[in-house]
Amino acid sequence: MMWLTGGFIFRRGNSAYHRLDPRVKLLISVLMFATTLLVKSLYELAGVLLFMVAVAAIATVLRRVARTMMFTATFSVIIFVLNFVFTGNLDTSLLYAARFVAIVVSTSLFFITTSPDELEQVMKTFRLPRDVVFAFVTAVRFIPVMFLDTIQIMDAQKSRGLELEKGNVLRRVRNMVPILIPLVVNSVVRSGELAEAMESRAYGAVPRPTSLMEYRTRLRDRVTAIAAVVVFVLTAYSFYFVFPARIL
Amino acid sequence: MIEFREVTYVHQNGVKALDGVSLKIEPGETVAIVGENGAGKTTLVKHVTGLLKPATGEVLVDGKSTRETSTAQLSRKVGVAFQNPDHQLFSESVEEEMSFALRNFGFAPGLVEQRVKWGLELFGLEEYRKSSPLVLSGGEKKRLTLACILAWDPDVVILDEPTVGQDSIQKEKLAGTIRMLAASGKTVVVVSHDIEFLWPMQPRLVVMKAGKIVGDGPAALVMQEKGVLDSARVAQPQLVEFYRALSERPGEPFVDPLEARRWVEGTDR
Repeated sequence: MMWLTGGFIFRRGNSAYHRLDPRVKLLISVLMFATTLLVKSLYELAGVLLFMVAVAAIATVLRRVARTMMFTATFSVIIFVLNFVFTGNLDTSLLYAARFVAIVVSTSLFFITTSPDELEQVMKTFRLPRDVVFAFVTAVRFIPVMFLDTIQIMDAQKSRGLELEKGNVLRRVRNMVPILIPLVVNSVVRSGELAEAMESRAYGAVPRPTSLMEYRTRLRDRVTAIAAVVVFVLTAYSFYFVFPARIL
Repeated sequence: MIEFREVTYVHQNGVKALDGVSLKIEPGETVAIVGENGAGKTTLVKHVTGLLKPATGEVLVDGKSTRETSTAQLSRKVGVAFQNPDHQLFSESVEEEMSFALRNFGFAPGLVEQRVKWGLELFGLEEYRKSSPLVLSGGEKKRLTLACILAWDPDVVILDEPTVGQDSIQKEKLAGTIRMLAASGKTVVVVSHDIEFLWPMQPRLVVMKAGKIVGDGPAALVMQEKGVLDSARVAQPQLVEFYRALSERPGEPFVDPLEARRWVEGTDR
């Protein structure tokens, strides 16, 4: 399970990409996301995916992005099958399935290189309500904790003779009950404890609290942002005016 | 018999949790595993039920490698009560919680009823029989998890930090249960930081540090090896410290306990 989630959870890194202003990383991810929606052929999509792989290599997260791709590919198969069944068009079905992988990779690149603290700053930039920002960032911060909880709960139940992989689909779903109940109960208890801890540390005492960190965009951030926009505009232009419209 | 042969285990984050561990635990032995946080104690016991498989080396339970046996099969022989009871309680009532493993192992309904009754009585939980396990106090939950394990009568009982959240009376009862298990021929492995709890039982003591075993022997001997204990950040029992201080004291015997205490604290030297 940790193997799968490794492709989505932030881990501290020291690459040039990690050190970028989080808002610039968000811009790059949004532009990559938009580009995947603009592509009309598998060749173009392959080019976009290659670009994402290059970004992942610069950010030294290539292996984790590869995991994300493999994990997403399992869902892509469903998208491909459903499209193929209902449209009967192999090329379009392939394009949609591959596009899903690209969309997930573009967002995953942002999340695996951006710490929850940076994410909080980005959300504050958009002037979102403080409580909403706090709730979202806390949820992100607690994902790894919940996965550790899940593993420990699974270990405890397996040690009591529970065989998760045994039986038909219904039995397997029922086997998840001893995992899910402690997980939900622990999460609810933890959220209550967290709320009390936050309140006892004056959360919400003043309407506009000060901030420990303030991001100032540096020259390299501005250059990267401009380069990202230029590459996006050129790519979009080439999709519509240089190459003829086609699927394959 | 449980045997670790040059076992190495590396966590996904690259941390070596076990580093060439070799250990033999004979049937009927009472073994305490101590060491600082992150020393590899829980990782070691998770290998016994096959929850973790060694990266290199081998773990054998009754001569069979844990690589070739499922956790469910191993759990029938080895019962593990994990540190956090909230990680296993999920049933609607305490009796259902206790019968969960028994049903998984295919016990007959009559025997399930009998074992549940025995476990609840042993741990003083009869009054909560119909209550939800989620509303029990921390100490009661801990006792319930122990009762759940003992209910299916495994040959090996592993207790991971059993004294956490227990008051002194419950600790005494727990020590009594461990002695009872040992007397009935069970192999008991206790992972604990609570030296004062372990000391009176005089178990075989295994000291771990950074994934390695740095001390192994009868508690009475290992507890006197201050260098080993200090390096593994394990405190000596107060009684051992007291006698060590006494042995260094020249001259007159103590007149009263307060004098002895002042002397050990160094206030009348």
